[in-house]
Amino acid sequence: MLFIITTLIITALISALIKRRGVIEFFSVIAALIVLFEAGAIALKVSVSGDYSPFIYFYIDSLGAIILLVASVISLAAAVYSIQYLRQETAKNIIGFARVRQYYVLLNIFSIAMFLAITANNPIFAWISIEATTLSTAFLISFYNKPSAIEAAWKYLIINAVGLLLGFFGTLLYFTSFTLLSENEFVSWQSLAANAVHLDPLIAKVAFIFALIGYGTKIGFVPMHTWKPDAYSKAPNPIGALLSGALLPVAFIMILKFRGITDIAAGPEFSRHLLIGFGLLSVAVAALIMFNAKNYKRLLAYSSIENAGVMALGFSFGGLGVFATILHLIYNSLVKAMLFFSSGNLLLRYSSAKIKNIKGAIDVVPITSTLFIAGFLILTGFPPFGIFLTKMQILSAGMQAYPAVSVAALSFMTLAFAGFFKHITSMFFGEKPKDIEIGESSIWLILPPMMLLIIISILSFYIPSFLLTLINNAVLRY
Amino acid sequence: MNILTLQFLLEIIFGTVIFLHITKKNFWAVIAYGVQSLMIGIIFLNSFFETVNVYIGIMVLLTIIIKVILAPLFLTRLIKRHLAMFSVSTYLNTPLTLIIIAILTFIARSQKFAPLTNIIPANQALLSLALSAIFLSLFLIINRKGALSQIIGILSLENSIVVFAVFAGLEQSPALQIGIISNFFIWLIIATVFVSMIFKHFGSLDITTMKNLKD
Repeated sequence: MLFIITTLIITALISALIKRRGVIEFFSVIAALIVLFEAGAIALKVSVSGDYSPFIYFYIDSLGAIILLVASVISLAAAVYSIQYLRQETAKNIIGFARVRQYYVLLNIFSIAMFLAITANNPIFAWISIEATTLSTAFLISFYNKPSAIEAAWKYLIINAVGLLLGFFGTLLYFTSFTLLSENEFVSWQSLAANAVHLDPLIAKVAFIFALIGYGTKIGFVPMHTWKPDAYSKAPNPIGALLSGALLPVAFIMILKFRGITDIAAGPEFSRHLLIGFGLLSVAVAALIMFNAKNYKRLLAYSSIENAGVMALGFSFGGLGVFATILHLIYNSLVKAMLFFSSGNLLLRYSSAKIKNIKGAIDVVPITSTLFIAGFLILTGFPPFGIFLTKMQILSAGMQAYPAVSVAALSFMTLAFAGFFKHITSMFFGEKPKDIEIGESSIWLILPPMMLLIIISILSFYIPSFLLTLINNAVLRY
Repeated sequence: MNILTLQFLLEIIFGTVIFLHITKKNFWAVIAYGVQSLMIGIIFLNSFFETVNVYIGIMVLLTIIIKVILAPLFLTRLIKRHLAMFSVSTYLNTPLTLIIIAILTFIARSQKFAPLTNIIPANQALLSLALSAIFLSLFLIINRKGALSQIIGILSLENSIVVFAVFAGLEQSPALQIGIISNFFIWLIIATVFVSMIFKHFGSLDITTMKNLKD
């Protein structure tokens, strides 16, 4: 674990100190490769031993290992994609070298914070790490230095700061299970869970509400979602991929950890009902807005909110729903990153993120368009891809105990599909603009989303045994 | 330090939050935040004298340097640079603001929040005052239209949560507390950079002038 952090710190320093663009890009990709290799090794170790704790300060369980692996796959794809994406933007005089350097420094700091949040064994340290992800990404959202980008970044900074402070308050309340905290006592997630029986049920409920609001803000549950479409639409596309594909599950694992503690103290019904409420509201609001979306990057942001809602429902339904939800989390992260990369290609070609300005994309950028359409089909649960099965399993798990919720969720998911489909037909078919250059910009802008598509396709039909073990162990715990 | 002295310090903190709601001048809001932070510094100093722990000593020093000296200095420089002497208006007028303050204070003291204010029964009065400060700080962030006021509101919310944690016996290890303070210092630096960017692009610190994200 320390190796991952050290590698990323060195890469951030190299990016800050070295003035040769090629060297910075090379080290970023190498670092992402090393991180992926390490994450793979950790995942294998956890699948054998059940958890991994190299030091008292770090602890990775099965779900943590899955998220670590997914985040590192997306980080590598983002590192490779960023090279050509930023080069094309430099060629268009959108950004200069100073911005590129700033981008790589912040990207690596963001990765450090994200990996620390996944592996931190202390809830407060995990909170500090999550807060650090906000700080490192604020300047990435205002990256293009336009008024709209500044506005989006400000909104992101303020809403997330308030949300996370409330999350911090909730986190502190869980510590009331310890009768007296000695000055140097290390409170781990495990000791907090072990002490949960001493936690006042009412305090546990209040604490969970604050934790859910706090980390739910980071996830983007409705009504704390307002920063998300703005931030996603203004950030460079590889950052959108990381925010949606990697950071969202990291915040989710925090809520699940607190949920486990709350359930011990106050019973499972309270957290279940709250998650169902936030989940259904998120699916409903996102689906309604998606139908009338005008910007395809905002469309992806709302799709992210919708899928966060689906995952909240899946985790609250329990049983088979949890297994399906963990799979859904993996598929959703990978496909969302793939869609952000494909939309980046559209943005580079059309120089617009507005849906009405994108016409005949299938003729202009055929591979990108195929990838985007494939991503749309996967994301909306089109068979035979994995999300079709996971959505069906989540809904059927809910159908037994919460039929009305499941039917409502299914209706809104159908609406989301219809809305997305409407935009897809408008963007990819029809007459292309006459003055637009035809063809893909670079193979390096195609390879990362294509690799992700291959991974998702394989995982839709075959789950490696170590991953299956990790998912099964995570189901038992969450 | 006896309970009455602690209660007095907490009352000053609570008073500064109310003052933040009423004041129309940014400079006085910054001074109020500085005073609020100083009270927290004194409470931590009390812990240091009781334990004589070096790490707590470092934490006291950091609190005073960052929250009492540097943060107000940063904010004052921002006010001077952008000539933002007067805070931007609120969404609610002063009488309505005061009514909401009274309601929030009442809610914090109500039975609904008794589980929180009874974490340490002996500190019930102190905890309900700290909880009121949390609610009022949250309301300050929502009610103010100025970017600077929002920053001060968030810093005040953090102070209120810290003071609640102290009186509820939920203080974290000094290492973690140093981490939290450092985190907020970085947040403050970033937020002040953004305030300058907002002024550069919008010519005002009024966040209601930012209307570029309609689509």
